[in-house]
Amino acid sequence: MTRLLLATALGIVIAVPASSETFRWASTTDPQTMDPHAVSSAPVLGFLNNVYEGLVRRGPDMTIEPSLATAWEPIGDGEGWRFTLREGVTFHDGADFTAEDVLFSYERAGSEESDVASWFAPVSEVIVVDDYTVDIMTTSPQPLFPDSIANWMMMDSGWAAANGAERPSRDTENFATRNVNGTGPFVLSDRQPDLQTVLTPFDGWWGEVEHNVTEAIFTPIQNSATAVAALLSGEVDMIEPVPVQDAERVDSNDGTRVIRGIESRVIMLGFAHDHEMLRNGEPNPFSDVRVRRAVAHAVNVPAILQTIMRGSAEPASQLVAAGTSGYSDTYGDRSAYDPDVARALLEEAGYANGFSFDFSCTNDRYLNDESVCQAIVGMLAQVGMEATLDAMPVSNYWPELREGNFDMYLLGWSPGTFDAEHPIRFLVHTAGERLGTWNFGGYSNPRIDELLPVMQSEIDPEARQAVMDEAAGIIQEDMVYVPLYVQPLLWGVREGVEVTQRPDNFLILRWVSIE
Amino acid sequence: MTDTPSPNSVQTERARSRIAIAWDSDLAYSFRRSPVALISFAVVLLLVLSAVFAPLVAPYDPFDPGTLNLMNGFTPPGEANAFTGETFLLGTDDQGRDVFSTILFGLRISLFVGFAAVALALILGVTLGLVAGYVGGMTETVIMRIADVQLTFPAILVAMLIFGIAKGITPPEYRDQMAIWVLILAIGLSDWVQFARVVRGATLVEKSKEYVQAARLIGRSPFAIMLRHILPNVLSPVLVIATISLALAIIAEATLSFLGVGAPPTEPSLGTLIRIGQGFLFSGEWWILFFPACTLLALALSVNLLGDWLRDALNPRLR
Repeated sequence: MTRLLLATALGIVIAVPASSETFRWASTTDPQTMDPHAVSSAPVLGFLNNVYEGLVRRGPDMTIEPSLATAWEPIGDGEGWRFTLREGVTFHDGADFTAEDVLFSYERAGSEESDVASWFAPVSEVIVVDDYTVDIMTTSPQPLFPDSIANWMMMDSGWAAANGAERPSRDTENFATRNVNGTGPFVLSDRQPDLQTVLTPFDGWWGEVEHNVTEAIFTPIQNSATAVAALLSGEVDMIEPVPVQDAERVDSNDGTRVIRGIESRVIMLGFAHDHEMLRNGEPNPFSDVRVRRAVAHAVNVPAILQTIMRGSAEPASQLVAAGTSGYSDTYGDRSAYDPDVARALLEEAGYANGFSFDFSCTNDRYLNDESVCQAIVGMLAQVGMEATLDAMPVSNYWPELREGNFDMYLLGWSPGTFDAEHPIRFLVHTAGERLGTWNFGGYSNPRIDELLPVMQSEIDPEARQAVMDEAAGIIQEDMVYVPLYVQPLLWGVREGVEVTQRPDNFLILRWVSIE
Repeated sequence: MTDTPSPNSVQTERARSRIAIAWDSDLAYSFRRSPVALISFAVVLLLVLSAVFAPLVAPYDPFDPGTLNLMNGFTPPGEANAFTGETFLLGTDDQGRDVFSTILFGLRISLFVGFAAVALALILGVTLGLVAGYVGGMTETVIMRIADVQLTFPAILVAMLIFGIAKGITPPEYRDQMAIWVLILAIGLSDWVQFARVVRGATLVEKSKEYVQAARLIGRSPFAIMLRHILPNVLSPVLVIATISLALAIIAEATLSFLGVGAPPTEPSLGTLIRIGQGFLFSGEWWILFFPACTLLALALSVNLLGDWLRDALNPRLR
């Protein structure tokens, strides 16, 4: 009996360790690298925002606030920006954060090997004024520059040099792919790609700690039903996303709830504009705008939203969601679903008997992506376009697209700057070293290339909006992409867990608290 | 049989007498007396026939994307769809496909993969087993050690390995067309070992028997002896293993497809249907998972029970 009591007492002691709060969360996609400059995708940048920091950062409402820079001001008549750095900041390994690290991070993130080089397209030079002052010079006035670099994360120059990771590695690995040395509030304590990644608080962080997390464990769970089961059983504290079909169940279940929002991410179809041949060796019909318009008319977006997305997504008319700055109200209507118009357009383009092509699609990246793609295959078949669906995990997807192995593809784009200029810079501008880096289809329009610098430097809101409207008009007229819908944000959390949902779908651990 | 032409009456009589012999055989007797065997056989026959004649039986063609109406999605079984008013016997999935039709076509792929994989395993295993048992020596050692090594890995792991390699070397544009063949190859290659072991054992026993010695004495080639003399005498255990392997191959295919490495969603097997269906378990669309799962269960169970019965019926000690 005494023994039993003792055992019970011991059990209680073991079961309640002193104020240890482990936060477990799961998402469909594993951040494919720990290198903040190697891959510009939301899972990577969102995750790394917890370990690395930029000069500025975004608050819960997406406004820019000081981070590693305490203040910034324009230089002269728009020749650049001067950033005053925070003093006393150290990296996880104890090295001091200084202006040299900013210069190094610019060289690294702006290099050819980087996936985020387009952020620095207007930058001409970075000058170290003293240890805590940096001037970033631009080729033209860039009023929005500080807004555009919230995800530009600072890396320690000494650490990178010592480990041979001076340049990011996009498709292969280097030291920075699996190791982290940032200034952020969390330290990477265990990294097992595709299995689990563990973060623990950084004791030497400069900021004031608001969270009460002592350990945060991220597990990628590709199968959405498994993720829901894990949340319902209490195995994880949060999942992102909740599959649309399960949102009601998770919300009505005792002990879990759903946090809803509208993500800024627009799901769209992209085309091989500049390919001469389709992958099956036939001439490429997608270089003809009438065929692209036919696709836009053939896809029944309302039906997709009604059934597959269960009414929790909004149709999209352009590359950004309504409400994003620079969104064009003039071009706010998307092409109506009309298979007859689609057939007529195909006939006009000389494809009355239809054609076959490959449709590349992810199966683990966007909400119900594979179902949506299957439905699109059916809709296109009804007007004579025979698509073969090639659905694959996102880790194979981007390399395939970069190789040009596609005819038509599915893409989701969330503007990192919350401005309509962002997708134009990445997706529409003629592909080059720093601009148009995600313009896989090779669309090229000199007028767009002319308009982009204007959008970046124009200060007068009305004049700028006129430029944005013109660009949105060209993109819609040319049907560069077929925008489909704006993806909803659905996070499932356990009762007693407080998180802050930001429209860019980043989970910021320093805002997490556990009861 | 014979090259000399004979009158029709003789042929039919012969045929009739063959059926009569078969009907009077121990095996047929035992079959007629076993209700389990009769029921399982009826289930398997029904499933195989409906799979073979799927294009005639199925009310819709789920593989023709042009005929699908997304608005029919998630229609519960037997109820009219809220938008289109159409009714489906077993409901529809997320794409508006008739579940009943997808099961019939899925069954087709599952059975095809199962039969083809077993056929591959059987041909490979029996050949290697015969050679190992009859030739002996170094040949036997090499074959049987390979078999032993392969036995230390779970079959499904070997299948996944072969599937992965095959998928890696096929160009992406052929992946979907090749998926079914790769699946057959993977399951077949992971399953030959038990055939080889059994046949080798039986061959070792038969090899020393007098009729084989006699055949050798009159100078028949080793190939002829293996094929004409030994093979017919080692076939009954092979038949049992083949039946049980069929059930296992169907399950293996379903497992691989469930894990997402098997049949593509555009050409779903039962396993793919179950994988798709389990995404809707929590949201209440149970029929998308339930009916394919029941079909798979009925198929695998009946084939297994048939295999069990066959094993008992062919085992002289149990008679």
